[in-house]
This record gives sequence, structure tokens and C-alpha cells, in this order.
Amino acid sequence: MALRVVGQNEIRVDGHSKVTGKALYPEDLRMDGMVYGKTLRSTHAHALFSLDKSKAEKMDGVLKIFTAADVPHNAHGVLFKDHEVLNAAKARRIGDPLAFVVADTEKNAEKAVKEIKVSYEDLPAVFDPEEAMLPGAPKVHEGGNLVYHFKLNKGDVEEGFKQSHVIVEQEYRTPMVDHAFLQPESGIAYEESGGKVVVCAATQYPHFDQLEIAEALKISVDKVKVINPAVGGAFGGREDVTMQIHLAMAAKSLQKPVKTTYSREESFYAHAKRHAMTMRFKTGADKNGKLQATEVIIFSDTGAYASWAINVLRKAGVHATGPYEIPNVKINGYSLYTNNPFAGAMRGFGATQVPIGHEMQMDMLAEKLGMSPVDFRLRNIFKVGSSTATGQKLTESVPLEECIKAVAEKMNIAYDEKLGVTK
Amino acid sequence: MKQRGKGIGCTFYGTGYGNGFPDVSRARVQLEKDGAVTVYVGATEVGQGAKTVLSQIAAEALGLSMEDVRFVCENTDETPDAGTAAASRQTYNTGNAVKRTSEALIREIKNAVANHWQKEDVQRIKVDRGKVYHPDDQDKTLSFREVALLAGESKIVGEDSFTAMTTQLDDETGQGNPYWPYTFNVYGIEVEVDTDTGKVAIIKAVCAQDVGRAVNPKLIEGQMDGGFAMGLGYALMEDINLSKGKMKHDRFSNYLIPTAMDIPDLEKLIIESPESTAPYGAKGIGEPVMLGVAPAVLNAIYDAVGVRMTTIPVTPDNLLVAIKEMDRKGQPHEK
Repeated sequence: MALRVVGQNEIRVDGHSKVTGKALYPEDLRMDGMVYGKTLRSTHAHALFSLDKSKAEKMDGVLKIFTAADVPHNAHGVLFKDHEVLNAAKARRIGDPLAFVVADTEKNAEKAVKEIKVSYEDLPAVFDPEEAMLPGAPKVHEGGNLVYHFKLNKGDVEEGFKQSHVIVEQEYRTPMVDHAFLQPESGIAYEESGGKVVVCAATQYPHFDQLEIAEALKISVDKVKVINPAVGGAFGGREDVTMQIHLAMAAKSLQKPVKTTYSREESFYAHAKRHAMTMRFKTGADKNGKLQATEVIIFSDTGAYASWAINVLRKAGVHATGPYEIPNVKINGYSLYTNNPFAGAMRGFGATQVPIGHEMQMDMLAEKLGMSPVDFRLRNIFKVGSSTATGQKLTESVPLEECIKAVAEKMNIAYDEKLGVTK
Repeated sequence: MKQRGKGIGCTFYGTGYGNGFPDVSRARVQLEKDGAVTVYVGATEVGQGAKTVLSQIAAEALGLSMEDVRFVCENTDETPDAGTAAASRQTYNTGNAVKRTSEALIREIKNAVANHWQKEDVQRIKVDRGKVYHPDDQDKTLSFREVALLAGESKIVGEDSFTAMTTQLDDETGQGNPYWPYTFNVYGIEVEVDTDTGKVAIIKAVCAQDVGRAVNPKLIEGQMDGGFAMGLGYALMEDINLSKGKMKHDRFSNYLIPTAMDIPDLEKLIIESPESTAPYGAKGIGEPVMLGVAPAVLNAIYDAVGVRMTTIPVTPDNLLVAIKEMDRKGQPHEK
């Protein structure tokens, strides 16, 4: 049956309101009688601390300064509950939230934040994931720094390297980067009649935020409503909650609408980063240009909190071969806590880092074999019927050859048309 | 001196949460009294086009035009849980849920009409373009508005869900079926390297994106442009620049991202290869569109000047140091 709507360039249903400025983003929301929250954040990467809020509490317009003691259940996190809503005694990174000040105006809240006295007692810190693995490394969390060890073993890589005519070994490094979405975090919370707390803040997953807010406040899920207004970009950076629990807690406690808006700089400290990875690749191919083996070791820096550390490293490991049939594969990945900013979801989720490695490996092998990079790839790519490194059979919809040949033609890169499979 | 080179980057991407984690999207579709249909689904519009694409899928399955489909996703009280707007899963996963739910609504509509037509055989009733047709009399029809009135005070509702195929990997061997479906992306990029400044300019860029089936080609092209810009930033500019846990780049005056002036036209090739488990064959492309950019740039830089840059971002200073280092060793950087 011919499709009527699917395949058409329908105008975005949210387009008109966005281009005319009518769409409401969280920062656009205002309520009668609303008050403002500001977050005090750690300036030390790893330290015990104590707070003296006596002076700040007495300042003009200050309604309440929330600290860890005010949080009913002081834990949240997408995977492990290793984040504190407000840190109680120890900061694990620069930017950890230590207190949430609510005042009648944004200025008064800001002034009061500056008057909270924080006494830090620095602890030895660790900033490199490989160092974090060493015995005796400073522990970011009680349980040790190794969050996850990913293992993949298919075939016999030693045998594969013996069968290889050329082998290339190289280390690759990728940095932590920010999502740089357009709209810095902002939100407002209030209590509805019947005691339901409503949180309006841009998120990727309203139903999960609802759960996290309910757990932290020790209230039932049906006493929490999350309204997700227009979202100014996310790219993974709005998966972990930032201000949602702070706002809900303050709105419930003060019985007033509470709003907070992060500056761009605070936004950098509030949400996750892309995992920095160090990746060591060893890859071999035979004389005919067929890949024989690849061995990859990945160190992934999840920073001070786990967020999606396990899932991101797993996705990196599963995709570390690239879209190529390789009979012998060995992958070891390690995700580690450090005192760096915490890393989490970001567009590609681990599958963005590994192509830096596998694609340069492909070009180096091709060069050593005197083949063009495109021809070398065409000899090895996934096609229908291929098995991935995890032994998963690709049963349909594998148009990789078509993609490569289409790009090569547009780029005027010559290739051997006989290579690949004809569909 | 300015030297040019070409490179490609080939990637794949497994959709969904993966590793056997229950990856479920739920939806509810409701026939309104004015004959329009409202889709309730907790799938976030983060700018990727979820509201539009999922509305198109609903419209297709319901046999309606876009104007007759309303879409609500902004409120946990009103919407069923459709999982996170991540892992390139909304078009595939929630798209499947919306399609199945729309089909469930059509069944409910047929049931209501069959009852109204003195227990007519449901199988024989046809629904098309907002009308329900009597099997023996093409002139005997009911509009969706009339069908809605048959239900009186209550509403005709369809509810269903979709769960992705995924199995848990073996802890020791990493074997199993973690994700489905897989989506393929290839970039070709030509650069011009200024060997005096280390600056890399993009001369030409081509992206071929496997989409399964294109639900909305313009929105796919928008994702490709965005992914290309983000990938270029990753390859050439972006780094929070950590020093003892402190971000030295924590604002846009020092954390540089590409501007419109840095982004050349991207030639966008949509490659269709419908996936049988997907809604109308459509796979998610939100993440795949950025994956091939950085490796293609790095391979093009090597092709241009013979330097393998194995650490990103390749800022002008980093590249210049690498070029000078190669000169010092007396290696030619012209190929």
C-alpha cells in the first residue's frame, strides 16, 4: 500500500510556535508570588566540608537555605543512586551542589549564596582514570573507583594476529566535551491543591524525573507531576536530574512557587559531560586485506558519578570493531570514578569515541597493504548475514556498502566496483 | 602552504537501551468528539522532531491527514511512559508503539461501528481517510465524528506498547544480541590544512545516512546538518580543558563550538533500506548522523599533510606542533 503521510516533508508541528517566539521554555514561566533559588556549588574537587549559613540566613529576603539535612532521601542517579541531592559532608568534584538558597529575589538569593561560609579540608584527589585504577589511589566513593569492567572475547586474537600480514597499534584520546545545548537549565516548581508537587523543567525523560523526585522526597509517584515545556536541546545532557529535586523540595517546604535558572557557566557544572576515553587499538589484516583480529583496551573517565558509565562503556565496547567483520576480537573496557566533572549520556553514547580509533586503524592498515581506504573497507564491511563482535547476526537492512559507494562517488574517490556484495 | 586531503569515516550504531534492559514505549490514542484523534505519549520533543514524526506515523496508521492528529507529550499526568528521548529510540521504539496503538484504535472504531450496524462482521468493515465504510453499501458511511458520538459520554481509546528486542550480554565473553536495529553512517570529508597556521578548513563534506525509511526527509536532513556541526566541533574545537578537575573552558568565550561561518554546505544522501521490525521501516538517526564526522576529518588531515592526529580536538596549535615535529624529523608531509 502506498504511504500517504510517511515520507512527506510535513512542517514541524512545533515549528510555528518556536519561530514566532510563542513556545514557552522553562525560563519563560512566571507565577504569582514566586521566589528564587540559587545553588551553592563546591569549588574543591575532593574535600570534606562544613557549612556555616548563620550569616546568610539572616540576610534580606532569604526564606530558607536547604542543605543535605533537609533532603528526605539524599540520593539520586540514573543507574546507581550515587549522587547526593545536596552533598552532606564530602565534595567529589568542582560543582557539586552543597546548598540551595531560596529568597524573594534572584539578587538576594545570589548575595546569600556568597555569604555561606564553606570550610574545606582537601583530600587527595585523582584526575586520570588509569591512575584511579592503581592500588592506593584516592577513593572517590567508598566502594572503590572501578565502576565497570567490560569484557568481550570472540575467537582467538593471538591466532588472528599470527594470521595477519600487517598489524597496526595506536593509542587514541578523546576529551570530555559539553552538550552546549541552546537553553541553559531553568525550572519552576509549585504545589497543586491536593498536595501534588508540580515540576516544570526541560527533560529528556519526564516519567523518570517523576520517579527520582518522588524517591528523594519520599512521597508517592502520583504526588509528583512533571511538566516538560519546550526543550532547548538536550543531546543527553538532560538525562540526569539537575535542579528538579531542589525545586520540588523547596516548593513543598515553602508552599510557594520556586524558580531557578542556571547561567551558561553554571550549566557547564550542573550537567554531565561526554566520557573522555583513552583507547588502545591493535588490529591486523592478512595479505588479501581481510581483517583478522582486533584487540582494544578502553579507559573511560566517568568523573565523580556513575550516571550511565556502564551503558556508555558497553556501547563503546560493542561498537569498537567498527562496522566490519573481524573473526577474532578481544575488548577490555574499564570505567572509573575520578574527581573530574561527571560524565554521562551524550549523542552517540560511547559509539562516538571508538570510531576515532577504528577508522584510523582502517586507513593505516590500508596504507600498509597498498590499498585504497575505500577498497580496504569494502573487503571487510558488514552486510546482511554478517555477525557482529557480540555474535549478533545482522538479518536485514544493512545498506553500508551503498552508503560507502555513494560517498566515494560524491567525493570523487575511486574504488573497485567489484568489491562488496551486490544486493 | 595549503594542502588538501580526503578522508572517510564509516560507523554503525545499535539502537536502544540495550543489554536486555526492558526498552518499552507505551502510547494511548483517543478519538475526540470532533472526529480528530489525540496521541498521548511521554516522548520528549528535544528538537529532534519526535512530535512531527510520531504524528506522521499516527496519521499514516489511522488513515488521517496531519491536521486531524493532535499530539500531547508534555505532562506525566496525561501521558503513558514512552521511555527516554535518547539512544535514537523514539522513532523506532515509540514509533512502533504509536503505530500499534493507532491500529488498536481502528479496531475499537470498527467494533463500535459493527455494533451500531446490527452486529455487522468487523472483518468486513473498512476504514479510510476518517470514514468508516459499510461492506455492502459504499454510500453508507460514518465519519470519525459520528463514530465518536456513538460512544456517548465515554471515548473510544486505543492503548498498546512496544518492547525492543535485546538480550543481555554474557559477562565474560560479551556475546549476545544487545541492540536492534543497527543503523549505518558514512561521511566523506575534504580538508585544506594551512601548514603555516595549523588551521583546518572543510572544503567538501558528504554524509550518507541509512534511515531504514525516511518518515520526514527534511527533518532527517536537519539532523544530518546538526550532527555534522557537532562532529566538526568534536574533531577540531571542543574540549572542556581540565586541570585538576577544573574546567578551564566553561563558557562560550573559551569553549568554542562551530558557528554558521565554520560550517560548509553538507551534501546529504538519505539511504533507504526498510527494516521489517520498524514502523514503516524507519530507524532512528539522531546519534548516527554525528559518528562518522570526526574520523573522516582525521583521515583527511593525514591525507593532506601526512600527520596522524590521534588526540582530539585537532586545534590549530596541536596540529602545528605535530607538523613541525614531523618537519624536524625530516619527514616530508607532502604525499
